[in-house]
Amino acid sequence: MGTVQIRNARKAYGAVEVLHGISIDIEDGEFVALVGPSGCGKSTLLRMIAGLEDITGGDILIADRVVNNVAPKDRDIAMVFQNYALYPHMNVRDNMGFALRQRRVPKPEIAERVSAAARILGLEALLDRKPRQLSGGQRQRVAMGRAIVRDPNVFLFDEPLSNLDAKLRVQMRSEIKELHQRLNTTTIYVTHDQIEAMTLADRVVVMNGGVIEQMGPPLELYDRPASLFVAAFIGSPPMNFLSGRLAEGDILLMADGTRLRLPVGDPKRRSEVTVGVRPEHFAVAETGWPAVVSVVEPTGSETQITARIAGQTIRVLVRGRFSAPPETVIHLQVAPEHVHIFDPAPLPDLAELEDVA
Amino acid sequence: MSDVLAASPGSAKTRRNPLTRDLLVRWSFMLPAIILMVALLAYPIFYTLDISFSRFEITSFGAGEWVGLENYREVIADYRFWDSMKVTLIYLVFALPIQVALGFFIAYLINAPWAGRGLLRALFIIPMVVAPVVAGGMWRMILDPLWGILNYWLGLIGLGPLDWFGDANLAMAAVIIIDTWRWTPFIVLIATAAMLALPKDVFEAAKIDGCNWWSTLWSVAVPLLVPVIAATFVIRWLGAVKMFDIVLAATYGGPGKATGVVNLFIYEEAFRSLRFAEAAAMAVIVLVLTMVLTGIFLRGSRKLEEWF
Repeated sequence: MGTVQIRNARKAYGAVEVLHGISIDIEDGEFVALVGPSGCGKSTLLRMIAGLEDITGGDILIADRVVNNVAPKDRDIAMVFQNYALYPHMNVRDNMGFALRQRRVPKPEIAERVSAAARILGLEALLDRKPRQLSGGQRQRVAMGRAIVRDPNVFLFDEPLSNLDAKLRVQMRSEIKELHQRLNTTTIYVTHDQIEAMTLADRVVVMNGGVIEQMGPPLELYDRPASLFVAAFIGSPPMNFLSGRLAEGDILLMADGTRLRLPVGDPKRRSEVTVGVRPEHFAVAETGWPAVVSVVEPTGSETQITARIAGQTIRVLVRGRFSAPPETVIHLQVAPEHVHIFDPAPLPDLAELEDVA
Repeated sequence: MSDVLAASPGSAKTRRNPLTRDLLVRWSFMLPAIILMVALLAYPIFYTLDISFSRFEITSFGAGEWVGLENYREVIADYRFWDSMKVTLIYLVFALPIQVALGFFIAYLINAPWAGRGLLRALFIIPMVVAPVVAGGMWRMILDPLWGILNYWLGLIGLGPLDWFGDANLAMAAVIIIDTWRWTPFIVLIATAAMLALPKDVFEAAKIDGCNWWSTLWSVAVPLLVPVIAATFVIRWLGAVKMFDIVLAATYGGPGKATGVVNLFIYEEAFRSLRFAEAAAMAVIVLVLTMVLTGIFLRGSRKLEEWF
């Protein structure tokens, strides 16, 4: 029913191609998050599925029907926009019922479906208010109500939470997840916030520069990132990277001559590599990689340590309490399965990745 | 000790000084504008008020003996004044809605992104830069009953010939057509700017929600534009009350008094009949009426905005 197939979809503005052949198969009822830094093409792809942008090449199928030349209103989709896009002159009830009125659904049925959706979203008390009389979170909920009233094949979300403050974002995030578990409607969700993508989706599609970097269940991306980009993008705080030359199979020889013994060798036997370790996978021990502590930040349940290995700043996250004065040398150990070895490449601009509102 | 004593009156002085200096600076910045306003607006208004309550002395060309409301009484009793007011009213009732509706509709049509849009917009400005008297004369030729091109075209589809300036109703229609030609582009410009400022995603939501072209216009675009439409109405209303130049050039109030708008009548009374005092009284009446009606309209449009 609500399947979506994207087959080698391309998008070009004039001579500039921004999507270079994207293929994704989305099953009925699946929740897929498109995630990537700004300009990666995720929103463009969503708008192509919605029919708000033409498809330059390839096919998009919704419910097994090619929709390349089908008008948005005939695709049986509903979209939630970043800025809510509520009709400012209509009250909540009319906003939610508008699409049904356009489809000439009988009035009693509209009233029934609107009040059912309002009940699900807790909007019953607000039905007679205008959008300008609502808070950001309430507007967001109305925008979702407008989508679910339609009972469409597919929900499309375009960065729906990025205009909300941090606390509300977390709350709405779990509401969206709950809503999906309840309605089980196929959902495509665009975000630049990897945590949103990880927590919400059955499957995450990481995009970068108009191509798919990796696609898979959230924990698979976390455990086995296919590229340096995905490794840097997924996970918070982000993965640490150390570059150098591999010697004697498992010795990482860094630029300043520091030698670190890796718990595993590189199965691909590369000589130049970038090694990645997540902050939470380091353990402080008696032996291991020597690191110089610069800052220790306790948060109660865990402690974040900023330290330097061979002059490079790394972050370490340990459970529980830890204290050490600055400039102390500590030793770090990593389990073999937590060492990621990549081709050497310039690191993606983490500042840009972290522009998460 | 003496330092403190010497300093305290000094500090009080420095406290007052910046304040007066600040006031001085503010007023000196405003002074040029104030002088201009007084010379160009306030003085003529009060001069007109003065004349309207006095007997006008042609010899000294100024207000003479104070006569109170006599000029007003005379004007209000003058049926010609009320006839010209009626003509103005008829013109307003037709011209304003036509211009605003047409302006916004054209703007909506040319708002879609297409290659010739910029050029078309530029062409639309031409009527506004043509001098009104030239426009009036030009349209006199176009509408000429014998060799005007409009009657020729109407003849091709079997209409006419229409006596544009001989028939009372047609003469009014002609004035409204010319005025519409001249002012609709202005409304198109405002409307285009307003439409470009509308939130794009609301229209995209409408597209997904199943709106066609017509329901997008009626259910989304028009309600969102209500504040701008109301503002445009006020701007055009204030401009249209002053209607004078096109009538002067195209019909000179004729035939008979069919297009004799109130400003033309005031002009004639003042500068042809030299009845400056009565003309001043009429001008004051028109001014007050305009202010009152504008106030009512602004209040009404605010109510309208609350509605939407």
